[in-house]
Formats: sequence, C-alpha cells, structure tokens
Amino acid sequence: MIVDDSTTMLMSLRNSLEIASFSVLSASDGLIALGQLSSGPKPDLIITDINMPNMNGIEFIGKARALPGFRFIPILVLTTESQQSSRDEAKKLGATGWLVKPVGGADLIKVIKQVLPGA
Amino acid sequence: MLKSSQWFGIGALIALALGRALPDASMAWVDTFLGRPGDAWLLLAVGLLGYWLWLSRPSLVSFSSQSQSHTPAAEPQRLLAARLLATHLSLEQAIDLKLLEVVADTEGSATSIIQEVRTLYDSSHKLVTYLDSSGLRGSTMEDDISECVVFLLELGKFVRQLPDKMKRDMASVQSVVQEINDLNELVSSVQAIAMQSHLLAINAAIEGSHAGPSGAAFRVVAAEMRILASNSSDVASRINSGLARARNVVGNTMADSMSESSEQLQTVSAAGDSILRLQENFEDMRQFYKIRFSVITKYNEDLLQEIAEVLGHIQYQDVVSQCIQRIRAATAQRNAFFENAVQQDSQDPAELAQLPTGLQQILDKFLSEEERHLHSARHVDDTGSDQKIELF
Repeated sequence: MIVDDSTTMLMSLRNSLEIASFSVLSASDGLIALGQLSSGPKPDLIITDINMPNMNGIEFIGKARALPGFRFIPILVLTTESQQSSRDEAKKLGATGWLVKPVGGADLIKVIKQVLPGA
Repeated sequence: MLKSSQWFGIGALIALALGRALPDASMAWVDTFLGRPGDAWLLLAVGLLGYWLWLSRPSLVSFSSQSQSHTPAAEPQRLLAARLLATHLSLEQAIDLKLLEVVADTEGSATSIIQEVRTLYDSSHKLVTYLDSSGLRGSTMEDDISECVVFLLELGKFVRQLPDKMKRDMASVQSVVQEINDLNELVSSVQAIAMQSHLLAINAAIEGSHAGPSGAAFRVVAAEMRILASNSSDVASRINSGLARARNVVGNTMADSMSESSEQLQTVSAAGDSILRLQENFEDMRQFYKIRFSVITKYNEDLLQEIAEVLGHIQYQDVVSQCIQRIRAATAQRNAFFENAVQQDSQDPAELAQLPTGLQQILDKFLSEEERHLHSARHVDDTGSDQKIELF
C-alpha cells in the first residue's frame, strides 16, 4: 500500500511496483489509508509519506501499528525529510525504514526485498 | 548630530528671546551705540537668522520643488506604506498564483511522463515476453533439430561404413561361388558313380540271363540298379543345372554390383560429408542466434531498468512541489507580518525596534524547515555513507 498526497508519487510508485509484479493499493492521506486498512485487504507492506493533510505519516504509523494484525507488517517511510529526530520518532512508533525522496526504482525494489524476504 | 546652519538658527532664536527678556542687560553698550534699548539682541538675532537662511538654502530649495510636484513622497507616510504594502501583496499574489500554476503544470507533465514511460515499459515487456516465447519455441526446435542431426550422423556413419560392408559381402559371395564350384566336383563324382552303377546293372543283367531261371533275381536287381543309376544321373544333372544357374546369378549380380559400387560409394561419401557440414552449419546458426538473442534480451533488461530509474527521478516533481509549498508558506507569514505592522502604525520606538526581530523569526523558521528537507544531493554525510536509505 502506498500512502502519499502527491499524484506524481502515487503514480511513480504504483508503476515502479507493478513493473516488479507487485499489486498496489493507494491512499492520499493517513486517514483514508487507515480506513482502508480497517476494512479492506491486508497489505504485505506499507510505504507512507510524512507530510500529508488530515493525518500525517507519523500519526498514521502509530495508529496502523495499533490495528490488529499489523504489528509486524513492514512500514517504510518515503519522504523529503531527512532529519534524524524525525527518523527516531518514526522508528519509535514502529516504522521499518526511512527513505528520502527521490528513490530510484531499483533501490526501492532492493529495499522491499530486504524487508519482504521471498517477495 | 546638528548641522552648523541649525546651530546658527538655534542661536538666532536664543538671541531673540534674550533680547525680549533682557532689554537692558549686558548688551547695554551696544544699545548705547544704536540709541535704542534691546536693539542689540534683535540685531544679533536677525544676523544669526540671516546666516542660517543662507546656509540652509539648498534644503529650502529642495523642499520648495517637492511641494510644487505633488509626488507620493508628499503623501502621509502611513498612506504611502499602505499603498506600498497593497502593491507588494498584489505582486506576491501574482507570484503565488504563478507558483501554483508551475506546481500544477509540473505535476501534469510528471503524470504524462509516467504514463508514457509505462507505455514504453509495456511495449518493452511485450517484446521480452515475445523473446522468451520465441526462446522456448527455439529451444524446442533446437532439441528437435539436434535429434535429427544425431539421427543423420548415425545415418552418415552407417553410409560411410557401407563400402566396407559391401566389400565384405562381396567376399562372402565369392566364398559362396567357391563353395558352388566345390559342389560341382561332387556332382561330377555322383554322375560317375551313377555311370558305374549303370554299367554294373548291365553286367548283372547279362550274367543273370546266362544263369537262366536261377538268375531271375539278379535280373531284378540289375533292373533296379539301372533305375537307381538313371535317377542318380538325373538328380546329379539337375543339381548341376541348379548350381550353374546359381553361379550365373551370383556372378552377374556381383558384376553389376561391382560396376555400380564405385559411383554409389562416391555418392555415399558425398552424403556423409554433407551431413557433417549440415551439422556444423546448424551449430554455427544456433550460436549466431543465441548470441543475438542474448544481446537483445540484455538491451531490453537495461531498458526496463532505465524505465524504473526514470520513474524514480520523476519523484523530484514532488520534492520541488513541496519546496515551493514551503516557500509559499514562508512568504505568506512574511506578508502577514508586514500587513500587521502597517495596520498597527505604531510610533512607539520600542515596538518599531521589535520589527526586525519578528522578521528574523520568520527567516529562522524557514531555514529550520529547509534544514529538515535537505536536498538529496547533500545527503552524503562526512563519512561518505548514503543516508537516503536507512532500515531500522
């Protein structure tokens, strides 16, 4: 699942992942994503932005981790932010990794295969 | 710091005041000289005032010209600041709209590029799928051809061995002919035995006739021996005829085979060489297409990788878009700050002194926010390790 308020990011990531044979769900902010996680299919991996309207990525990570069955789902942060304090906060809330935009397709797939062995 | 002309002006005013307050004071000797009390102070005041006017004439001329032209500088400062602010905000609004337009345009371009790149990928993917399919079909065909080639090689081997086999067969046939010739001698012996038996039968019949009735038995035996000799002779003749025919057939066949064998052997040898060349050519062709197939596949894989990288680079649109949003936010804060300052129209020096501090706070906040969003090109720390990707 991709969570980002940028159309460019959603399309870029969707295509990069589909090319690598992944099926992709998407949401334009944390609130919508949380709703989808509560009622829709359970994704194997979540990639989320930080700066989003309605519910930002940090809050979304915390609430997603609290959902039943989402304790061990890998959550990668993909953002323009690079400050260590933000990384630490995300890590504390249960993020699996931190990626600074832009990330090339090959690098993205490499990271996904690291956090999703067998993917 | 007061200018000299201002000092003279002030001095003139003081002199005028002293003249009115102290008409008969220390300047009495001048009054005596002029004939009227207090005129000395008045004279000093007039003198100083005149000198002040003479020193101040450039600024007075400037002031006069400004008053006559009715420029904005002549307007009250508050109104001037309000007009400046309104113009500034209009400019900022126009810039802001343009920035939003730029963000929308780049987003539109980015999504178009993504769609085009995806189309490119789909075409490339179809080519890869086609090549894979062709590869599988080619592999199956290659296996079939390999089996055929193995069969042809076996055939070629057999054909190459055929001349030797024919020679061996020919030798065997010659042995058979020799055996037939040997049988001929036996047949001749049988015929000689039959002749001797016939002669014996005749002699026995003659002797039997001489013996009278008692030789009847000899005559019977003699008759049977003649029949036996005759039959033996017939059989031997038939065997001889059969052997002669067999010898003729084998001999003729051998002669035909020998006459045709040289051409056939040449043809067989050429066929064997053709099969070998066919195998070598097939191997060359297989290698040729295998190499080209590998090259095309590699180029296509590289193309797919480049497409994936292009999709990554397009993410810069979002990076730039967010940067513009932060700049817009900082600009809005700065404009609100200016608007508030103009509206308050404070004359309090303490409040005015706080204005730079307020603007500095907006600057610090902007710089701090930008520090959190370092450009990716600067994401390499002092140790050289890439901080763009970190797994916890």
